[in-house]
Amino acid sequence: MPFDARKNLLVADTLLSVEDAEVLLEWLLKNPRGRINLSACTHLHTANLQVLMAARPKISVWPTLEPLAEWLKTALDKENKDHAKNDTGR
Amino acid sequence: MNPLLDQFLSEAREFLESISAKLLELERNPDQTGVMDELFRFVHTLKGNSGLFDLPEMTRVLHAGEDLLDAVRDHRLAFSRALADQLLEAMDFVGLLLDEIGAAPDGKVPDTSAHAADAARIGEALRALMATADTAGTTDTATAATAGGQAAAEAAVAAPTDPPAWDASALPEAVRMTLYRALLDGTAHSLLIYEPDHDCFFSGEDPFFQVTQLPPPLWRRLSTAEPWPNLAELDAYHCVLRFELILALSAEELTEHFRYVLDQVQIEPLSIEALLQPSGRVQDQPLATDFIRTALSQINAHDSEALAQAARTLLELSAADLCIASGLRWLLLVLELEPDHQDRQRALLNAIEQQCFGADGALMTASATERATERTTERGPDGIAESSPDRPGSETSTASPSATAISPEVSQSFRQVIEAQRAILTLRDAPEWLSGRLRSVATSLSNAFASLYAASDSDALEQALAMAVEAKDPTPLQDWLAAQPLPIDAQEEPHPLTTPATASAAANATPDPTNTAPKPSAEDQVHFGRRAEDQPSARTLKVDQVKIDRLMNLVGEMVVAKNALPYLAGRAESVHGVRELAREIKGQYSVINRIAEEMQDAMMQVRLLPVSFVFQRFPRLVRDIARKLGKEVDLVLEGESTEADKNIIEALADPLIHILRNSLDHGLEGPEERERLGKPRVGRLRVSAHPLADRVLIEISDDGRGIDPDVIRRKAYEKGVIDEIALERLNDQEAVNLVFAAGFSTAAEVTNLSGRGVGMDVVRNAIARVNGTIDLRSRVGQGTELRLTLPLSMAVTNVMIIESADQRFGIPMDAVVETLRVPRSRIQTIKHHQAAVLRGRLVPLMALNELLALNVEPIANADDELAVVVARMEQEELGIIVDDCRETVDIILKPMVGVVASIPGYAGSALLGDGSVLLVLNPMELL
Repeated sequence: MPFDARKNLLVADTLLSVEDAEVLLEWLLKNPRGRINLSACTHLHTANLQVLMAARPKISVWPTLEPLAEWLKTALDKENKDHAKNDTGR
Repeated sequence: MNPLLDQFLSEAREFLESISAKLLELERNPDQTGVMDELFRFVHTLKGNSGLFDLPEMTRVLHAGEDLLDAVRDHRLAFSRALADQLLEAMDFVGLLLDEIGAAPDGKVPDTSAHAADAARIGEALRALMATADTAGTTDTATAATAGGQAAAEAAVAAPTDPPAWDASALPEAVRMTLYRALLDGTAHSLLIYEPDHDCFFSGEDPFFQVTQLPPPLWRRLSTAEPWPNLAELDAYHCVLRFELILALSAEELTEHFRYVLDQVQIEPLSIEALLQPSGRVQDQPLATDFIRTALSQINAHDSEALAQAARTLLELSAADLCIASGLRWLLLVLELEPDHQDRQRALLNAIEQQCFGADGALMTASATERATERTTERGPDGIAESSPDRPGSETSTASPSATAISPEVSQSFRQVIEAQRAILTLRDAPEWLSGRLRSVATSLSNAFASLYAASDSDALEQALAMAVEAKDPTPLQDWLAAQPLPIDAQEEPHPLTTPATASAAANATPDPTNTAPKPSAEDQVHFGRRAEDQPSARTLKVDQVKIDRLMNLVGEMVVAKNALPYLAGRAESVHGVRELAREIKGQYSVINRIAEEMQDAMMQVRLLPVSFVFQRFPRLVRDIARKLGKEVDLVLEGESTEADKNIIEALADPLIHILRNSLDHGLEGPEERERLGKPRVGRLRVSAHPLADRVLIEISDDGRGIDPDVIRRKAYEKGVIDEIALERLNDQEAVNLVFAAGFSTAAEVTNLSGRGVGMDVVRNAIARVNGTIDLRSRVGQGTELRLTLPLSMAVTNVMIIESADQRFGIPMDAVVETLRVPRSRIQTIKHHQAAVLRGRLVPLMALNELLALNVEPIANADDELAVVVARMEQEELGIIVDDCRETVDIILKPMVGVVASIPGYAGSALLGDGSVLLVLNPMELL
């Protein structure tokens, strides 16, 4: 398992594969207020992204990899990002 | 089932039929513009109808087809076989979708997204045809894609089927400004919309990976096709994401990157015009009108410095997040980068004028008039704002309606809107979504009134809405509506919309449904009544077949029941001795009999269907098969209007198709062989139908190679269908008939069309099931002819009643050749089998008692003659010895069911007029 589940905190490994989405979803269902540390993550499969978008957990540490972090912030945290600030189309 | 969907399905099928017919017609004669127009109209209508439902795949394919046909219609593209092929395939696909939708349970529109890939493929193929036409034919080459040959890229770029034009206003202003600069610099930028298939994870795709492999985008957005469900119900493997990106890449580069999922991406070049839009909070800016007026004159005077100065001044005076501020920033940017592009500056001013101000009638009107005076070349926006120039913005609804002189069309549509809302408000149910419904009504009303009066009594409306939502009762809104002034036009109508009753209700403000409800519902009736009258009354009824079947059964029962009257008459005379009464009963019987027969006849007429119902598929079928086999065939259809019972016609479809396939595959030769044989290149396949007494005769003939009896004999022997003795004994006709034997095939190799040995015996059985016969004649080298005869109807069977061993039986009249009395002396016994020479032929005789294992001798009459029914069995005749032959009667044959179903020898049973049960024999099974 590419996760290190601690109490209320999930530390993700470098790569989250498509199968891991299931695990992630289960963990988030069990820990609705759980936080996720993505610092090591370099890529996550789209299914994981969907789970994160649907669950909107708190991300304790964003990925170190800048492009991925940008994308995840777009997907999960739109209010904080300036590129989405006056986005009226939504 | 949803009636709308139902109607759509049946109509769509009709359209598909017509489209195929037109396509084939065009293929024969491509220059008929009338047919072309009709074809286009069919496809267009079908597409429009499909848009009513959530059927993106169908709409997509039809849209592509429509575009293609449009090109053909405008002579940008020539009609060709390839094109017809492609369109026919597309229509087949649509047909497939229709079948799927029709088969879906509970009448819901099923999710057809499983076919998305097919739809994309067909759509692309259609567009590819068009793309080749564009590059080869006219100057109309697609502008965006520079690489000329890349049809796929073009298709992806030009795919306008999915969501309507992308709205650049979603972009933040800063991004758009950067893009504007970049585009002016000449760097290619593209908009990419990537909507992965819902099931894409299962094919190993990782859309997010695809996207992250791209260089960092200028702008990105991630949205979902549907709102996120409850986390517990989330299906992580059902992809609903939608990526939108703006990238510094050309369309070609993106096409290359997404080459495996081209059907899921939409790549669009960005145009400067779409980017230049003011965006932000809409609010009036007092100085704006003046500014726009002077700005326009400054542009005309090419005084860009003064314009920039004025814009800067106004920008300082405006709050930064206002729409006008955004517009001014754009204007300054354009002035800086493209000072000589006056058109763009004007367009921008226009945009500011139209988008940046609230619904304040005064400002709108003022600027509109100014624009009209300043630039006479351009027409101001026609419509309501201009036509009510004096309307003060602050006035409320108490103003006299005379101020609102409006055009009849506007008034008409306005009234329709109001009526619809009124109708909604009268609904007395209280669903969970009532508050939503009320809100939507309020919004519609507010918009409608705002369009008419620029500013309206929106505060009162909101209050009414709040009250209504609070009380879960639409009355406050009704009251508000009743209190509104209506256009003059409307007030001249015979039915005044505002009535004292509702007005007083408004004054009391007591939610009293009994008081207010009846009035609007009366309005309702007037409204819907008018619409009903608009429609021409239907002359044809579409009735469920089950209902017709029931009616037919009842008529059948009636026919049988009336048969009881003669028995009654007989009893009246013989038992009670009242001859007078017996005669009267007989008189009544003849009346009832006539009516019953007419009823039966009328019922038959209802169920009759022309054979064209089956025949109409043949042109397409023959064309497809012939092309596949590389043969040239001329199909001649005759007597398409010949009618027969629906069940018969439907039972005919499969056998006929089978026969046609056989003819095409085995019968007709290829063009070269035909030429060598001195026949015309084009083979001839004739299918004709005509009525023959109370039956229908269908003939299928070809002028192909025919069936060689020797080949059949040999094959049949090889396959073990016949033994050596039979091999010697069979005459040619008998040999030819062997093709009906089960498990027989002459084709040297099995093709996907025929040759699997499950051919003609299936055909024969299917025909026999509806009491039909089949007859095959063939001459080597000259062709084959198949004659099918079928009954017109299966509902009522005519049987002859016979008596044997004190029991009554029926024999279908179809099988009876003749009845006669044979003297016992003329019956000869040949090898323990009885036979007699009848009309110069030797007919074997069997006693019915013997066949039914009744251990009784047949009874002869006084002259020692035996009654014989000569029955037709296949090609031979059999004399059945019975005790006596009686009358013929019409009966409704009920098949044997339950325990007795497996007993052979009987076709079924029927009820007789005297209440007894008649067993009807099946002579075929007797032996």
